Amino acid sequence: MVILWIGMAGCWNITCGYTGYVDFGPVVYFGIGSYGTAIAMTKFGAPFFLAVAISGLAALLVALPIGLTTLRLRGAYFAIATFAFAEAMKQIALEFDRTFGVSFFDGSHGITLPIGDHGNEFFFFCILAVTLAVILMHYVIEHSKFGLGLKAIHESEDGAEISGVNTTGIKLRAYVTSALFLGMFGGIEAYWITYITPTDVFNVHKTVQMVIMTLLGGMGTFLGPIVGASFLTIISEILGTTFVEYYLIMVGAIIIGIILMMPKGIIGTIKEWKAIRFI
Amino acid sequence: MALLEVKELTKLFGALMAVGNVSFSLEEKQILGMIGPNGAGKTTLFNMVAGLHRPTHGKVIFDGRDITGWKPHRVCRLGIAKTSQIMEPFRAMTVFENVQVAALHGGGMNMAASRIRTDEVIEFVGLAENRDKPAASISVPARRRLELARALASGARVLLLDENMAGLNPHEIDEALVLLRQIRDSGKSLIVVEHIMRAVMGISDRILVLNYGARIAEGSPQEVANNDEVIEAYLGKKSAAM
Repeated sequence: MVILWIGMAGCWNITCGYTGYVDFGPVVYFGIGSYGTAIAMTKFGAPFFLAVAISGLAALLVALPIGLTTLRLRGAYFAIATFAFAEAMKQIALEFDRTFGVSFFDGSHGITLPIGDHGNEFFFFCILAVTLAVILMHYVIEHSKFGLGLKAIHESEDGAEISGVNTTGIKLRAYVTSALFLGMFGGIEAYWITYITPTDVFNVHKTVQMVIMTLLGGMGTFLGPIVGASFLTIISEILGTTFVEYYLIMVGAIIIGIILMMPKGIIGTIKEWKAIRFI
Repeated sequence: MALLEVKELTKLFGALMAVGNVSFSLEEKQILGMIGPNGAGKTTLFNMVAGLHRPTHGKVIFDGRDITGWKPHRVCRLGIAKTSQIMEPFRAMTVFENVQVAALHGGGMNMAASRIRTDEVIEFVGLAENRDKPAASISVPARRRLELARALASGARVLLLDENMAGLNPHEIDEALVLLRQIRDSGKSLIVVEHIMRAVMGISDRILVLNYGARIAEGSPQEVANNDEVIEAYLGKKSAAM
Protein backbone atom coordinates (compact mmCIF):
# COMPACT_ATOMS: atom_id res chain seq x y z
CA MET A 1 0.00 0.00 0.00
CA VAL A 2 2.85 2.31 0.80
CA ILE A 3 4.15 1.87 -2.70
CA LEU A 4 0.78 2.72 -4.15
CA TRP A 5 0.53 5.90 -2.15
CA ILE A 6 4.08 6.88 -2.99
CA GLY A 7 3.09 6.61 -6.60
CA MET A 8 -0.16 8.50 -6.23
CA ALA A 9 1.34 11.27 -4.13
CA GLY A 10 4.12 11.42 -6.70
CA CYS A 11 1.57 12.04 -9.41
CA TRP A 12 0.19 15.00 -7.53
CA ASN A 13 3.70 16.27 -7.02
CA ILE A 14 4.33 16.15 -10.75
CA THR A 15 1.30 18.26 -11.57
CA CYS A 16 1.26 20.56 -8.60
CA GLY A 17 4.32 20.21 -6.45
CA TYR A 18 6.64 21.94 -8.86
CA THR A 19 4.33 24.50 -10.37
CA GLY A 20 2.53 25.43 -7.18
CA TYR A 21 -0.90 24.95 -8.71
CA VAL A 22 -3.34 23.14 -6.45
CA ASP A 23 -5.20 20.44 -8.31
CA PHE A 24 -8.19 19.10 -6.43
CA GLY A 25 -9.42 16.65 -8.97
CA PRO A 26 -6.72 14.06 -9.73
CA VAL A 27 -8.78 11.21 -8.33
CA VAL A 28 -10.88 11.57 -11.44
CA TYR A 29 -8.13 9.95 -13.48
CA PHE A 30 -7.81 7.16 -10.97
CA GLY A 31 -11.51 6.61 -11.34
CA ILE A 32 -11.41 6.76 -15.11
CA GLY A 33 -8.64 4.22 -14.98
CA SER A 34 -10.61 1.93 -12.69
CA TYR A 35 -13.66 2.13 -14.86
CA GLY A 36 -11.62 1.83 -18.00
CA THR A 37 -10.14 -1.43 -16.87
CA ALA A 38 -13.40 -2.70 -15.41
CA ILE A 39 -15.38 -2.03 -18.55
CA ALA A 40 -12.65 -3.31 -20.82
CA MET A 41 -12.44 -6.53 -18.90
CA THR A 42 -16.11 -7.15 -18.28
CA LYS A 43 -17.76 -5.84 -21.43
CA PHE A 44 -15.03 -6.53 -23.88
CA GLY A 45 -13.17 -9.38 -22.30
CA ALA A 46 -9.82 -7.66 -22.62
CA PRO A 47 -6.84 -9.21 -20.89
CA PHE A 48 -5.52 -7.38 -17.86
CA PHE A 49 -2.43 -5.67 -19.22
CA LEU A 50 -4.23 -4.44 -22.28
CA ALA A 51 -7.03 -3.15 -20.09
CA VAL A 52 -4.62 -1.20 -17.93
CA ALA A 53 -2.94 0.26 -20.99
CA ILE A 54 -6.32 1.32 -22.31
CA SER A 55 -7.20 2.90 -18.97
CA GLY A 56 -4.02 4.88 -18.95
CA LEU A 57 -4.69 6.04 -22.46
CA ALA A 58 -8.29 6.92 -21.65
CA ALA A 59 -7.17 9.00 -18.69
CA LEU A 60 -4.60 10.75 -20.86
CA LEU A 61 -7.15 11.55 -23.55
CA VAL A 62 -9.59 13.01 -21.06
CA ALA A 63 -6.79 14.97 -19.39
CA LEU A 64 -5.92 16.79 -22.61
CA PRO A 65 -9.09 18.86 -23.06
CA ILE A 66 -9.64 19.20 -19.34
CA GLY A 67 -6.09 20.35 -18.84
CA LEU A 68 -6.31 22.83 -21.69
CA THR A 69 -9.39 24.44 -20.22
CA THR A 70 -8.62 24.36 -16.52
CA LEU A 71 -4.93 25.20 -16.64
CA ARG A 72 -5.76 28.67 -17.86
CA LEU A 73 -7.22 29.33 -14.46
CA ARG A 74 -5.03 30.23 -11.56
CA GLY A 75 -4.96 29.65 -7.85
CA ALA A 76 -8.19 28.84 -6.15
CA TYR A 77 -10.14 28.81 -9.39
CA PHE A 78 -8.03 25.98 -10.73
CA ALA A 79 -8.61 24.02 -7.54
CA ILE A 80 -12.35 24.54 -7.71
CA ALA A 81 -12.59 23.70 -11.39
CA THR A 82 -10.65 20.47 -11.04
CA PHE A 83 -12.62 19.47 -7.98
CA ALA A 84 -15.86 20.17 -9.79
CA PHE A 85 -14.77 18.02 -12.67
CA ALA A 86 -13.98 15.12 -10.38
CA GLU A 87 -17.36 15.32 -8.71
CA ALA A 88 -19.06 15.65 -12.07
CA MET A 89 -17.37 12.49 -13.27
CA LYS A 90 -18.62 10.67 -10.21
CA GLN A 91 -22.15 11.79 -10.95
CA ILE A 92 -21.81 10.77 -14.56
CA ALA A 93 -20.72 7.29 -13.56
CA LEU A 94 -23.64 7.08 -11.15
CA GLU A 95 -26.35 8.39 -13.42
CA PHE A 96 -25.18 7.73 -16.97
CA ASP A 97 -26.88 4.38 -17.36
CA ARG A 98 -30.19 5.51 -15.99
CA THR A 99 -30.24 8.64 -18.11
CA PHE A 100 -29.34 6.98 -21.33
CA GLY A 101 -30.85 3.61 -20.71
CA VAL A 102 -27.68 1.70 -21.36
CA SER A 103 -25.73 -0.67 -19.27
CA PHE A 104 -22.28 0.86 -19.42
CA PHE A 105 -21.19 2.06 -16.02
CA ASP A 106 -23.74 0.06 -14.08
CA GLY A 107 -24.29 3.08 -11.85
CA SER A 108 -24.30 2.59 -8.16
CA HIS A 109 -24.35 -1.15 -8.47
CA GLY A 110 -20.72 -1.03 -9.26
CA ILE A 111 -18.85 -3.36 -11.53
CA THR A 112 -17.44 -6.66 -10.49
CA LEU A 113 -14.29 -7.62 -12.25
CA PRO A 114 -13.33 -11.16 -13.13
CA ILE A 115 -11.31 -12.79 -10.42
CA GLY A 116 -7.98 -13.91 -11.72
CA ASP A 117 -5.71 -16.38 -10.12
CA HIS A 118 -2.97 -13.93 -9.28
CA GLY A 119 -1.55 -13.71 -5.80
CA ASN A 120 -0.89 -10.47 -4.00
CA GLU A 121 2.71 -10.41 -5.25
CA PHE A 122 1.47 -9.94 -8.80
CA PHE A 123 -0.32 -6.77 -7.90
CA PHE A 124 2.59 -5.65 -5.80
CA PHE A 125 4.86 -5.79 -8.81
CA CYS A 126 2.36 -4.08 -11.09
CA ILE A 127 2.01 -1.18 -8.71
CA LEU A 128 5.74 -1.08 -8.11
CA ALA A 129 6.33 -0.82 -11.83
CA VAL A 130 4.10 2.22 -12.20
CA THR A 131 5.47 3.83 -9.06
CA LEU A 132 9.00 3.38 -10.34
CA ALA A 133 7.90 5.11 -13.52
CA VAL A 134 6.56 8.00 -11.44
CA ILE A 135 9.84 8.22 -9.53
CA LEU A 136 11.75 8.13 -12.77
CA MET A 137 9.60 11.00 -14.01
CA HIS A 138 10.60 12.95 -10.91
CA TYR A 139 14.25 12.34 -11.66
CA VAL A 140 13.74 13.59 -15.20
CA ILE A 141 12.00 16.68 -13.91
CA GLU A 142 14.74 17.48 -11.44
CA HIS A 143 17.40 17.46 -14.13
CA SER A 144 15.76 18.71 -17.23
CA LYS A 145 14.65 21.71 -19.18
CA PHE A 146 11.07 20.62 -18.50
CA GLY A 147 11.61 20.68 -14.74
CA LEU A 148 13.27 24.09 -14.72
CA GLY A 149 10.34 25.36 -16.73
CA LEU A 150 7.91 24.05 -14.11
CA LYS A 151 9.83 25.68 -11.30
CA ALA A 152 10.02 28.95 -13.20
CA ILE A 153 6.25 28.93 -13.63
CA HIS A 154 5.93 28.52 -9.86
CA GLU A 155 8.14 31.54 -9.19
CA SER A 156 6.67 33.86 -11.78
CA GLU A 157 4.36 32.68 -14.51
CA ASP A 158 4.60 35.93 -16.50
CA GLY A 159 8.35 36.05 -16.04
CA ALA A 160 8.61 32.52 -17.34
CA GLU A 161 6.43 33.31 -20.32
CA ILE A 162 8.55 36.25 -21.44
CA SER A 163 11.71 34.19 -20.97
CA GLY A 164 10.38 31.87 -23.61
CA VAL A 165 8.72 29.16 -21.50
CA ASN A 166 5.60 27.81 -23.16
CA THR A 167 3.69 27.86 -19.89
CA THR A 168 0.48 26.31 -21.17
CA GLY A 169 2.34 23.55 -22.97
CA ILE A 170 4.49 22.66 -20.01
CA LYS A 171 1.67 22.69 -17.49
CA LEU A 172 -0.34 20.48 -19.79
CA ARG A 173 2.53 18.02 -20.16
CA ALA A 174 2.81 17.65 -16.40
CA TYR A 175 -0.93 17.34 -15.95
CA VAL A 176 -1.37 14.73 -18.67
CA THR A 177 1.62 12.64 -17.55
CA SER A 178 0.22 12.56 -14.06
CA ALA A 179 -3.20 11.56 -15.40
CA LEU A 180 -1.69 8.69 -17.36
CA PHE A 181 -0.05 7.19 -14.28
CA LEU A 182 -3.11 7.74 -12.14
CA GLY A 183 -5.23 5.97 -14.72
CA MET A 184 -2.92 2.99 -14.60
CA PHE A 185 -3.02 2.89 -10.81
CA GLY A 186 -6.78 3.00 -10.99
CA GLY A 187 -6.85 0.10 -13.39
CA ILE A 188 -4.54 -2.08 -11.35
CA GLU A 189 -6.38 -1.46 -8.15
CA ALA A 190 -9.72 -2.19 -9.78
CA TYR A 191 -8.54 -5.64 -10.78
CA TRP A 192 -7.05 -6.24 -7.35
CA ILE A 193 -10.15 -5.29 -5.38
CA THR A 194 -12.45 -6.81 -8.03
CA TYR A 195 -15.37 -4.60 -7.13
CA ILE A 196 -15.66 -0.89 -7.86
CA THR A 197 -18.33 1.71 -7.37
CA PRO A 198 -18.36 5.36 -8.37
CA THR A 199 -18.24 6.64 -4.81
CA ASP A 200 -15.20 4.52 -4.12
CA VAL A 201 -13.06 5.25 -7.11
CA PHE A 202 -14.00 8.89 -7.60
CA ASN A 203 -13.71 9.58 -3.92
CA VAL A 204 -12.24 12.97 -3.07
CA HIS A 205 -10.67 11.30 -0.06
CA LYS A 206 -8.03 9.87 -2.36
CA THR A 207 -7.22 13.33 -3.67
CA VAL A 208 -6.94 14.65 -0.16
CA GLN A 209 -4.52 11.87 0.76
CA MET A 210 -2.35 12.62 -2.26
CA VAL A 211 -2.28 16.29 -1.39
CA ILE A 212 -1.49 15.77 2.27
CA MET A 213 1.22 13.24 1.60
CA THR A 214 2.97 15.53 -0.82
CA LEU A 215 2.56 18.57 1.39
CA LEU A 216 3.90 16.63 4.34
CA GLY A 217 6.86 15.33 2.45
CA GLY A 218 7.58 18.52 0.60
CA MET A 219 6.03 19.92 -2.56
CA GLY A 220 8.24 20.07 -5.59
CA THR A 221 10.96 17.82 -4.24
CA PHE A 222 12.20 14.46 -5.38
CA LEU A 223 11.95 12.62 -2.08
CA GLY A 224 8.90 14.52 -0.88
CA PRO A 225 6.12 12.18 -2.00
CA ILE A 226 8.17 9.15 -0.99
CA VAL A 227 8.77 10.42 2.51
CA GLY A 228 5.30 11.87 2.91
CA ALA A 229 3.45 8.78 1.71
CA SER A 230 5.61 6.37 3.68
CA PHE A 231 5.42 8.40 6.84
CA LEU A 232 1.67 8.87 6.76
CA THR A 233 0.85 5.29 5.83
CA ILE A 234 3.17 3.84 8.45
CA ILE A 235 2.06 6.20 11.19
CA SER A 236 -1.58 5.46 10.40
CA GLU A 237 -0.90 1.73 10.55
CA ILE A 238 1.02 1.87 13.81
CA LEU A 239 -1.37 4.19 15.56
CA GLY A 240 -4.35 2.48 14.03
CA THR A 241 -3.50 -0.83 15.57
CA THR A 242 -2.38 0.53 18.90
CA PHE A 243 -5.06 3.09 19.56
CA VAL A 244 -7.98 1.84 17.56
CA GLU A 245 -10.38 4.45 18.83
CA TYR A 246 -8.32 7.61 18.78
CA TYR A 247 -5.82 7.07 16.00
CA LEU A 248 -7.52 9.34 13.49
CA ILE A 249 -7.33 12.28 15.84
CA MET A 250 -3.69 11.56 16.53
CA VAL A 251 -2.87 11.32 12.87
CA GLY A 252 -4.66 14.59 12.26
CA ALA A 253 -2.78 16.24 15.08
CA ILE A 254 0.55 14.98 13.76
CA ILE A 255 -0.22 16.28 10.29
CA ILE A 256 -1.14 19.69 11.65
CA GLY A 257 1.92 19.72 13.88
CA ILE A 258 4.26 18.97 11.02
CA ILE A 259 2.73 21.50 8.69
CA LEU A 260 2.97 24.18 11.36
CA MET A 261 6.56 23.46 12.25
CA MET A 262 7.78 22.62 8.79
CA PRO A 263 5.66 24.49 6.30
CA LYS A 264 7.73 23.28 3.42
CA GLY A 265 7.20 19.69 4.34
CA ILE A 266 9.76 17.36 5.84
CA ILE A 267 12.09 17.29 2.88
CA GLY A 268 11.49 20.92 2.05
CA THR A 269 12.57 22.00 5.49
CA ILE A 270 15.62 19.75 5.53
CA LYS A 271 16.63 21.24 2.21
CA GLU A 272 16.43 24.69 3.67
CA TRP A 273 18.49 23.82 6.71
CA LYS A 274 21.25 22.17 4.78
CA ALA A 275 20.89 24.15 1.55
CA ILE A 276 21.06 20.86 -0.25
CA ARG A 277 19.81 21.11 -3.75
CA PHE A 278 19.64 17.59 -5.02
CA ILE A 279 16.91 15.99 -2.98
CA MET B 1 14.02 46.76 -44.37
CA ALA B 2 14.02 47.56 -40.69
CA LEU B 3 14.58 44.87 -38.08
CA LEU B 4 11.49 45.81 -36.13
CA GLU B 5 8.57 47.79 -37.47
CA VAL B 6 5.60 48.95 -35.48
CA LYS B 7 2.67 50.24 -37.51
CA GLU B 8 -0.23 52.23 -36.09
CA LEU B 9 -0.19 50.26 -32.91
CA THR B 10 -3.21 51.03 -30.76
CA LYS B 11 -4.48 49.65 -27.47
CA LEU B 12 -7.85 50.49 -26.03
CA PHE B 13 -8.88 49.37 -22.58
CA GLY B 14 -12.58 50.02 -22.94
CA ALA B 15 -12.80 53.71 -23.64
CA LEU B 16 -9.29 54.45 -22.44
CA MET B 17 -6.79 54.80 -25.23
CA ALA B 18 -3.55 53.65 -23.66
CA VAL B 19 -1.66 53.73 -26.92
CA GLY B 20 -2.93 55.45 -30.05
CA ASN B 21 -1.63 54.95 -33.54
CA VAL B 22 2.07 54.75 -32.75
CA SER B 23 4.44 53.83 -35.55
CA PHE B 24 8.20 53.58 -35.59
CA SER B 25 10.97 51.38 -36.89
CA LEU B 26 14.17 50.05 -35.43
CA GLU B 27 17.30 49.13 -37.36
CA GLU B 28 20.05 46.69 -36.46
CA LYS B 29 22.59 47.89 -33.91
CA GLN B 30 20.45 50.89 -33.10
CA ILE B 31 19.43 52.31 -29.75
CA LEU B 32 16.02 53.94 -29.71
CA GLY B 33 15.15 55.88 -26.59
CA MET B 34 11.52 56.17 -25.58
CA ILE B 35 10.49 58.87 -23.17
CA GLY B 36 7.31 60.44 -21.94
CA PRO B 37 5.56 61.24 -18.69
CA ASN B 38 4.26 58.41 -16.52
CA GLY B 39 1.16 56.86 -17.99
CA ALA B 40 2.12 57.84 -21.53
CA GLY B 41 1.73 54.29 -22.70
CA LYS B 42 5.34 53.18 -22.94
CA THR B 43 4.97 49.95 -20.98
CA THR B 44 1.74 49.09 -22.78
CA LEU B 45 3.52 49.59 -26.07
CA PHE B 46 6.29 47.26 -24.99
CA ASN B 47 3.78 44.73 -23.79
CA MET B 48 2.12 44.71 -27.18
CA VAL B 49 5.39 44.15 -28.98
CA ALA B 50 6.34 41.37 -26.55
CA GLY B 51 2.97 39.67 -26.81
CA LEU B 52 1.62 40.29 -23.32
CA HIS B 53 -1.22 42.45 -24.64
CA ARG B 54 -3.09 41.99 -27.87
CA PRO B 55 -3.17 45.24 -29.88
CA THR B 56 -6.62 46.61 -30.59
CA HIS B 57 -5.31 47.78 -33.92
CA GLY B 58 -2.01 47.89 -35.77
CA LYS B 59 0.84 45.56 -36.57
CA VAL B 60 4.19 44.46 -35.24
CA ILE B 61 6.60 43.23 -37.86
CA PHE B 62 9.89 41.62 -36.91
CA ASP B 63 12.43 40.65 -39.52
CA GLY B 64 9.71 40.85 -42.13
CA ARG B 65 7.31 38.58 -40.24
CA ASP B 66 4.00 39.75 -38.86
CA ILE B 67 4.12 38.79 -35.22
CA THR B 68 1.10 40.79 -34.09
CA GLY B 69 -0.73 38.94 -31.33
CA TRP B 70 1.85 36.18 -30.97
CA LYS B 71 2.13 34.70 -27.49
CA PRO B 72 5.01 36.00 -25.36
CA HIS B 73 7.03 32.83 -25.37
CA ARG B 74 6.96 32.65 -29.16
CA VAL B 75 8.00 36.28 -29.45
CA CYS B 76 10.85 35.61 -27.07
CA ARG B 77 12.00 32.60 -29.02
CA LEU B 78 11.91 34.60 -32.22
CA GLY B 79 14.29 37.17 -30.79
CA ILE B 80 12.58 39.96 -28.88
CA ALA B 81 13.14 40.06 -25.13
CA LYS B 82 11.63 42.44 -22.63
CA THR B 83 12.72 43.37 -19.14
CA SER B 84 10.17 44.40 -16.55
CA GLN B 85 9.69 47.62 -14.71
CA ILE B 86 8.75 45.61 -11.65
CA MET B 87 11.45 43.02 -11.61
CA GLU B 88 10.22 39.45 -11.60
CA PRO B 89 13.24 37.23 -11.05
CA PHE B 90 12.70 33.61 -10.09
CA ARG B 91 13.35 34.37 -6.46
CA ALA B 92 14.07 30.96 -5.01
CA MET B 93 16.27 29.92 -7.90
CA THR B 94 19.91 30.92 -8.24
CA VAL B 95 21.13 33.61 -10.61
CA PHE B 96 22.56 30.83 -12.75
CA GLU B 97 19.23 29.01 -12.95
CA ASN B 98 17.37 32.23 -13.70
CA VAL B 99 19.52 32.83 -16.75
CA GLN B 100 19.50 29.16 -17.68
CA VAL B 101 15.71 29.12 -18.00
CA ALA B 102 15.97 31.83 -20.62
CA ALA B 103 18.74 30.02 -22.47
CA LEU B 104 16.84 26.73 -22.43
CA HIS B 105 13.37 27.90 -23.27
CA GLY B 106 13.92 31.20 -24.98
CA GLY B 107 17.08 30.14 -26.71
CA GLY B 108 15.91 26.62 -27.45
CA MET B 109 19.09 24.97 -26.25
CA ASN B 110 19.61 21.61 -24.61
CA MET B 111 20.89 21.33 -21.05
CA ALA B 112 24.57 21.07 -21.93
CA ALA B 113 24.61 24.00 -24.34
CA SER B 114 22.57 26.11 -21.97
CA ARG B 115 25.14 25.74 -19.19
CA ILE B 116 27.89 27.07 -21.41
CA ARG B 117 25.78 29.94 -22.71
CA THR B 118 24.57 30.84 -19.24
CA ASP B 119 28.10 31.14 -17.95
CA GLU B 120 29.08 33.25 -20.94
CA VAL B 121 26.22 35.66 -20.42
CA ILE B 122 26.76 35.88 -16.67
CA GLU B 123 30.40 36.74 -17.32
CA PHE B 124 29.45 39.33 -19.93
CA VAL B 125 27.08 41.27 -17.68
CA GLY B 126 29.38 41.04 -14.70
CA LEU B 127 27.34 38.79 -12.41
CA ALA B 128 29.95 36.06 -12.03
CA GLU B 129 30.33 36.57 -8.27
CA ASN B 130 26.56 36.20 -7.80
CA ARG B 131 26.27 33.10 -9.93
CA ASP B 132 25.09 30.68 -7.26
CA LYS B 133 23.19 33.01 -4.99
CA PRO B 134 19.39 32.99 -4.84
CA ALA B 135 18.01 35.73 -7.05
CA ALA B 136 16.13 37.21 -4.14
CA SER B 137 19.34 37.99 -2.26
CA ILE B 138 21.30 40.10 -4.72
CA SER B 139 21.50 43.89 -4.85
CA VAL B 140 19.31 46.13 -7.00
CA PRO B 141 21.96 46.85 -9.66
CA ALA B 142 22.72 43.14 -9.78
CA ARG B 143 19.05 42.36 -10.26
CA ARG B 144 18.89 44.83 -13.13
CA ARG B 145 21.82 43.10 -14.72
CA LEU B 146 20.10 39.77 -14.16
CA GLU B 147 17.19 41.05 -16.22
CA LEU B 148 19.64 41.91 -19.00
CA ALA B 149 21.30 38.52 -18.69
CA ARG B 150 18.01 36.71 -19.08
CA ALA B 151 17.17 38.75 -22.17
CA LEU B 152 20.58 38.06 -23.72
CA ALA B 153 20.55 34.37 -22.88
CA SER B 154 17.30 33.87 -24.72
CA GLY B 155 19.11 34.84 -27.88
CA ALA B 156 17.32 38.13 -28.31
CA ARG B 157 18.24 40.44 -31.16
CA VAL B 158 16.01 43.21 -29.90
CA LEU B 159 15.92 44.09 -26.21
CA LEU B 160 13.05 46.13 -24.82
CA LEU B 161 14.36 47.69 -21.62
CA ASP B 162 11.62 49.06 -19.42
CA GLU B 163 13.26 51.42 -16.91
CA ASN B 164 16.18 49.12 -16.47
CA MET B 165 18.08 51.87 -14.64
CA ALA B 166 15.44 52.74 -12.08
CA GLY B 167 16.87 52.63 -8.60
CA LEU B 168 20.50 53.05 -9.60
CA ASN B 169 22.78 55.78 -8.30
CA PRO B 170 24.76 57.92 -10.80
CA HIS B 171 27.84 55.70 -10.66
CA GLU B 172 25.77 52.58 -11.30
CA ILE B 173 24.00 54.36 -14.16
CA ASP B 174 27.33 55.06 -15.84
CA GLU B 175 28.27 51.39 -15.54
CA ALA B 176 24.90 50.40 -16.95
CA LEU B 177 25.38 52.71 -19.93
CA VAL B 178 28.74 51.12 -20.67
CA LEU B 179 27.13 47.68 -20.62
CA LEU B 180 24.30 48.80 -22.89
CA ARG B 181 26.77 50.13 -25.43
CA GLN B 182 28.63 46.83 -25.29
CA ILE B 183 25.40 44.99 -25.93
CA ARG B 184 24.65 47.20 -28.92
CA ASP B 185 28.16 46.75 -30.25
CA SER B 186 27.75 42.98 -30.08
CA GLY B 187 25.00 43.28 -32.67
CA LYS B 188 21.78 43.85 -30.74
CA SER B 189 19.22 46.61 -31.01
CA LEU B 190 17.73 48.24 -27.97
CA ILE B 191 14.65 50.25 -27.15
CA VAL B 192 15.32 52.00 -23.88
CA VAL B 193 12.55 53.48 -21.79
CA GLU B 194 13.93 55.70 -19.05
CA HIS B 195 13.07 58.70 -16.98
CA ILE B 196 16.69 59.56 -16.33
CA MET B 197 17.24 62.13 -19.06
CA ARG B 198 20.99 62.21 -19.18
CA ALA B 199 21.02 58.44 -19.59
CA VAL B 200 18.54 58.37 -22.43
CA MET B 201 19.93 61.44 -24.18
CA GLY B 202 23.45 60.14 -23.87
CA ILE B 203 22.92 56.71 -25.27
CA SER B 204 20.16 56.92 -27.85
CA ASP B 205 20.67 57.25 -31.57
CA ARG B 206 17.10 58.45 -31.89
CA ILE B 207 14.37 59.27 -29.42
CA LEU B 208 10.64 58.74 -29.55
CA VAL B 209 8.42 60.80 -27.27
CA LEU B 210 5.00 59.61 -26.13
CA ASN B 211 2.31 61.47 -24.27
CA TYR B 212 -1.19 60.24 -23.52
CA GLY B 213 -0.58 57.26 -25.72
CA ALA B 214 0.36 59.17 -28.84
CA ARG B 215 3.67 59.98 -30.46
CA ILE B 216 4.39 63.64 -30.09
CA ALA B 217 7.96 63.81 -31.38
CA GLU B 218 10.71 61.73 -32.88
CA GLY B 219 14.24 62.63 -33.81
CA SER B 220 17.78 62.96 -32.58
CA PRO B 221 18.32 63.74 -28.89
CA GLN B 222 19.11 67.37 -29.81
CA GLU B 223 15.94 67.86 -31.83
CA VAL B 224 13.77 66.28 -29.19
CA ALA B 225 15.27 68.28 -26.33
CA ASN B 226 14.41 71.51 -28.15
CA ASN B 227 10.94 70.48 -29.25
CA ASP B 228 8.25 72.71 -27.76
CA GLU B 229 5.64 70.03 -27.42
CA VAL B 230 8.03 67.79 -25.54
CA ILE B 231 8.99 70.55 -23.15
CA GLU B 232 5.34 71.32 -22.61
CA ALA B 233 4.52 67.71 -21.89
CA TYR B 234 7.09 67.56 -19.11
CA LEU B 235 7.00 71.07 -17.74
CA GLY B 236 3.59 72.38 -18.68
CA LYS B 237 2.56 75.32 -20.82
CA LYS B 238 4.39 78.60 -20.59
CA SER B 239 2.13 80.97 -18.77
CA ALA B 240 1.30 84.20 -20.59
CA ALA B 241 2.34 86.16 -17.54
CA MET B 242 5.89 84.81 -17.85
